[in-house]
Amino acid sequence: MTIRWGKDLTDLGLLWRRRRTRRIIIQIAIAVGVGLFVFYMADKARDLDDLGFDFLSGSGDFPLSTQWLTNYESNDTLLGAYGAGIFNTVRLVVIGIVLATVLGVLAGIARLSSNWLVAKLATLYVETIRNTPLLIQIVIWYTVVFLQLPRVENAIEYSGLFYLSVKGLALPSLTIDGSFGIWVIVLVLGAIAAFALQWWLHRKEEEGGGSKHAVAWAFLVFTVVAVVTYLLTGTPLEPDTPQVVITGANIYSVKGGIQVEPEFAAVLLGLVIYTGAFIAEIVRGGIQALPKGQTEAAAALGLSGYQRLTLIILPQALRIIIPPLTNQFLNLTKNSSLAVVIGYPEIIFVGNTMINKIGHAAPVYLMIFGTYLLLSLVISVSMNFFNRSVQLAGR
Amino acid sequence: MERSTIDLARRWARANLFNGVPNTVLTVVSVTVAVYLIYALTRFVFVGADWEVVDVNRRLIFLGRYPKEEQWRIWPPMWIVMALGGLSYGMLSRGSLRDLAWLGAAVVFILAFLATTTNGMLFGGGVVLAIAAFGLGRLAIDRPLVRSKLRVITIVGWFLVIPFAIVLITGFGGVKPALWGGLLLNVLLAAIGIGVGLPLGILLALSRASSLPVLKGFSTAVIEITRGGPLIAWLFIARFVLPAFIPDAFQTDPIVNSMIVVSLFTGAYVAEIVRGGLQAVDKGQVEAADALGLGTFNVTVFIVLPQAIRAVIPALVSQMIALWKDTTLFAFLGFTDALSGGQAAYNQAAFKGSQIEVLVFVALLFWAVAFGMSRLSQRFERVLGIGVR
Repeated sequence: MTIRWGKDLTDLGLLWRRRRTRRIIIQIAIAVGVGLFVFYMADKARDLDDLGFDFLSGSGDFPLSTQWLTNYESNDTLLGAYGAGIFNTVRLVVIGIVLATVLGVLAGIARLSSNWLVAKLATLYVETIRNTPLLIQIVIWYTVVFLQLPRVENAIEYSGLFYLSVKGLALPSLTIDGSFGIWVIVLVLGAIAAFALQWWLHRKEEEGGGSKHAVAWAFLVFTVVAVVTYLLTGTPLEPDTPQVVITGANIYSVKGGIQVEPEFAAVLLGLVIYTGAFIAEIVRGGIQALPKGQTEAAAALGLSGYQRLTLIILPQALRIIIPPLTNQFLNLTKNSSLAVVIGYPEIIFVGNTMINKIGHAAPVYLMIFGTYLLLSLVISVSMNFFNRSVQLAGR
Repeated sequence: MERSTIDLARRWARANLFNGVPNTVLTVVSVTVAVYLIYALTRFVFVGADWEVVDVNRRLIFLGRYPKEEQWRIWPPMWIVMALGGLSYGMLSRGSLRDLAWLGAAVVFILAFLATTTNGMLFGGGVVLAIAAFGLGRLAIDRPLVRSKLRVITIVGWFLVIPFAIVLITGFGGVKPALWGGLLLNVLLAAIGIGVGLPLGILLALSRASSLPVLKGFSTAVIEITRGGPLIAWLFIARFVLPAFIPDAFQTDPIVNSMIVVSLFTGAYVAEIVRGGLQAVDKGQVEAADALGLGTFNVTVFIVLPQAIRAVIPALVSQMIALWKDTTLFAFLGFTDALSGGQAAYNQAAFKGSQIEVLVFVALLFWAVAFGMSRLSQRFERVLGIGVR
């Protein structure tokens, strides 16, 4: 078929001018482009022998300096190594989120304090930390603080309970005994009883007015139950204090208790202080967004400053705070990857070590992205759930 | 007279620092903390610290391996940036006394520390230029005609200075990106990241809002996958994984690869910010523009985007600050940025144990720029009336 100048080309032009055709052609072009790209990458990966996850059942023959809840050893599989990396990341993220939230809420409230000096100190903290790269902060914590601590034999100690040295911080812990299970069951029952008591007293408070000290009573009941059964079951928990021991000629180390490695401590401190500054700004913004009348009305009702904050301001500010707070939690999760630069074995560190040892870069990074995706999903879903519970009902 | 001042101070202290027992306790604790902080800081800066390591390695920290004889290429763009900064601050400021005090302090600092060297004099020239521009901007506030012209010049200047700097540094037998280093590398990385990332992000946001399902799905996937992992993971991929997948003809320098990754990463974040802005634009605006007979392109570019971007300027500046801080990641990919230049400095045998001086100095450099940007953005917001209800 020959194309005639004139009619056919005008037809083509008309065809192109029709919105529907144009839309279809653009979309087909994108789909073909993406398809070709994916096909090329997969083909190249096959060439490089980089497809599949079979290599995970082999061993990489490398140790990990730090582990939490896992006991991976050098000759274990790579899957085990990566699992230990996941636990190390989760350890940072979970403890980091809790501490950063506490610090951020305190600093955010402090910035709005009527006490001039407190407000200024909080502002100084936020403005200094927020505008400095987290990476430099982590490097400073690690090289300037933790690596300059005294050697183990000269550790800074506090009455034999805490040891702070270049090997990190050793804290006392508790080891469990045979009767621990029974004690825990009793504790759970005690907690249920305490909650029931608190609920009952609270209802009486609402019916009859006046304070019945519901929380204090519940706390007292729980404490009494805990202490009495602790003694009855024959001390199910034994304190385990850290001790400096000589493990060789002039080689000292700390054994027992909980060991906080300097790498972990440096990254955790960096993450908590950095994220705390951002959370402080969110909390401040959330509180400031409330109409002033809320505080004034609460004051007019005779509520104390603490009551105003916990009963009136924070519950309402929470509605504004939670979505950006979720974002900060996600940022903290992703920022935990910076631990790789000081050698804390989180997933990227473990992944890079695996790639160095046996290659397979593409699947390893697929796993890393999958892990971050999963962590982010868990955080967003639970925060969304929490968010729904504090939003105004009936909207 | 004096009596009443003291009285006023006492009344202020009672109202703000000592109203009630808990507040008094807080004040006492804060005073202790503040006094200790001031003491420790003063002691560190003037007694404890030995700043020689920073002085000797200034070049390493600021320029890395950048060749000395090509240094002249950096000054013109830098002067332009300083003049634009002064102009922007001047045009956005209202209370000028405090600003003048700050500027005066800056001048004294510059003259005292830097005027002894050629570079110091060149930098000092830039500061003078910045102050002059500040004055010009400040004077223009009350002259609407001059102001509107200056505003156009400033905005166009900010957009053109990045390509100008890159052309002047790289072109005419200049310095290849592989030799960019020190703080200069951080600045250029951030500039390229935002310069490419901003338009890219706007395009991604528009295509995510598009009614074409394939285009929408594609850009959504790009945005979400990019945001799914930390930047350092992407940089590792670009440095160690991707080269094996790229045909030889398209292989680029590692630093260029990493720049592309940073731009894509920034683009994905900008896209999400702009998407928020797009959603904030009233539907009536689009309908009204349609009714006037504007085409899709015109409606998007002249009606929707200006309003959308104006609404998200604070978030965009935060993203720029985040990018600026993130450029330190390059220190751990084998590039000599300000941080790794500093690390090289304190690893020299002559300066063993001087990590703290170097790291604090580098941190201060990053802090100063980030703080300046956030202040500028706050003023900008106030002038534009964003967030005022």
